[in-house]
Amino acid sequence: MRKAFITQENLSVLSGDLERAGRKVVVPRPSATGRMEYGAAQSGSLTHLGGALPARSLKATFLPPTEALLRWKNAKDDVVLEPSEPKALPTVVLGARPCDAAALAILDKVMDWDYHDDPWFARRKATTIVSLACDGVDSSCFCTSVGLSPDTTKGSDVLLTAVDGGYLVEALSEKGEALLEENKTRFTAARGEAQAAERRKAATDKVRKNLAVDARTVKDWLGGNFEHPFFKLGSRCHACGACAAVCPTCHCFDIVDEPEGLEGGTRRRNWDTCQTSKFTLHGSGHNPRNDQHARLRQRVMHKFHIYSERFGETLCTGCGRCARACPGGMDLLEALREIDKLRRSSRPSAAPIVTPTNPPISGGAR
Amino acid sequence: MNELRQLARKLLADKTVGVVIGYEEGQGAVTRPSFATSPEQAEKLVFDARCVQNLASYLSPRRSTVRSLGKPAVVVKACDAKALAGLIREAQVKREDVVVISVACGGVLADPRSGKALSEAMVADRCRDCDGAHTSLADHKVGQAKAPAFGSPKVDARLAELQAMTAPQRFAFFKSVFSECTRCNVCREVCPMCFCARCMADKSEPQWIESSPHLRGNFAWHMLRAMHLAGRCVGCNECERACPAGIPLSLITRKMQKVVSERFGYSPSDDPNVPAPTGAFRLDDAQEFIR
Repeated sequence: MRKAFITQENLSVLSGDLERAGRKVVVPRPSATGRMEYGAAQSGSLTHLGGALPARSLKATFLPPTEALLRWKNAKDDVVLEPSEPKALPTVVLGARPCDAAALAILDKVMDWDYHDDPWFARRKATTIVSLACDGVDSSCFCTSVGLSPDTTKGSDVLLTAVDGGYLVEALSEKGEALLEENKTRFTAARGEAQAAERRKAATDKVRKNLAVDARTVKDWLGGNFEHPFFKLGSRCHACGACAAVCPTCHCFDIVDEPEGLEGGTRRRNWDTCQTSKFTLHGSGHNPRNDQHARLRQRVMHKFHIYSERFGETLCTGCGRCARACPGGMDLLEALREIDKLRRSSRPSAAPIVTPTNPPISGGAR
Repeated sequence: MNELRQLARKLLADKTVGVVIGYEEGQGAVTRPSFATSPEQAEKLVFDARCVQNLASYLSPRRSTVRSLGKPAVVVKACDAKALAGLIREAQVKREDVVVISVACGGVLADPRSGKALSEAMVADRCRDCDGAHTSLADHKVGQAKAPAFGSPKVDARLAELQAMTAPQRFAFFKSVFSECTRCNVCREVCPMCFCARCMADKSEPQWIESSPHLRGNFAWHMLRAMHLAGRCVGCNECERACPAGIPLSLITRKMQKVVSERFGYSPSDDPNVPAPTGAFRLDDAQEFIR
């Protein structure tokens, strides 16, 4: 795959070029509330690239907080359904965090599992992701513990690395190659490769210090210890779901029918979270996850056991946003450290592992 | 600190309480809520300007995991005490079912993760007009109360700016900040006064409030919340601190506080026997809107 170089200035020019060519350009920039967030580029400026970590992940670009699935109209003796076409504008993300890009590749698995999620894949297909190798944000980063790194290429089409005077550019996919080819006047020959390698190594070393645990190794311990007292974690948790709201890999949604007048209405899907009691409340009034201990266990289990059993991937990119956002001071790094300690001190278990091997819900071929 | 730990140790050792809800060192430079259930665990307790959380939230009947720990003693700052008084006033907590440890607080940090020391610039806005006095609810007082002196709350200046705008300008402002809302309900879940077992916003038959985070649903939600908290919100600002979208919710809660104060002469009180306007009727209440 080709390598190139682009100046900071030309990257802004490129952003304008892409907009003029009819692409939506998504960059990190201050939101309406003043927080750094991914959103539509404003006047082609890329001044916030590599600045503060966007408060929420990139997932909203592919799984919007709310999205219409279909509209219904009440006809005389019938109900007419009109499926919604997913809005999938040709898009380029400039300056994605590598962890946020990796999350998309991880989520592709579940989005193409028992059901092929058309809106998700329409946007995935229409989007080219240009990531910027990360310097490591702070002590809550732990991407190196989930098999990634601050310069991971997973999920990215192009990887930028900041070097003197601009960015080293590396195409990683056909989409990335095409982006470079279509805009080749903005790029020059690759340079700064030694410096880029040095910076990337420094960032990786920095993040490694935050959590000396390979989170992939806790999978089996989790499977065999569903009832372990460790999971009495819930007291300080508010069940607010701030963790899920900022998480790049939490993807659960709720489907609601909203009437709009007497003539019809819209079926929408909205972000949801397993941290609330309502999430598992049955119509009968029974709730299988009846306290916050059980709900937090679910969060840990789904990310580090269930998803990896089913898809061979950890449902976490180590971005650390949950730890930063939690109003009650819950910290996933601390939990992983504890689990790893328990894992090391426990004898290899002969007990059967609680493994979700049930077939896909639809019983289809996927 | 020693005084607080000694007290907690005693309360736990003589089984006066099953849990002391206080603060402990968290990960990194921050503190976090702590649930000490044995005299040994009382050694973890700390209190300083990093202790921002309103621990009265954990006394809400919704917190079944906390309730299962036994009778609580709770560490409260002056602001938290008002929330506790609200829970007692609204019959969610019985006064005799909680031991109140009032800690002297000279103000807390707006952002404890910053690692900065407490100063005029770094203090949480709500501390600016706090008198810092120990609450009359206190069963135990720890430390010498002192009034923080940090000038007037910045939210008031921002409210004055909004008030000076035309209605369409104000609407445009709220439209822009509400466009960031994903209806994650974090503001509701962390609120000490949002204790309903089933929130009106969660009801689907009939659906009063659209749960989708489109602007219509977001406006409906934030207006419902403003109305349901008017005269009840104590201004602890946990909602704004926790909001993953950074929505300036104190603009709404503070405005409602001012309206209630002007019309009903009520400010959040740490005395549960002072009736709040939503739970009391007075013949001289303003009622010119009834025609």
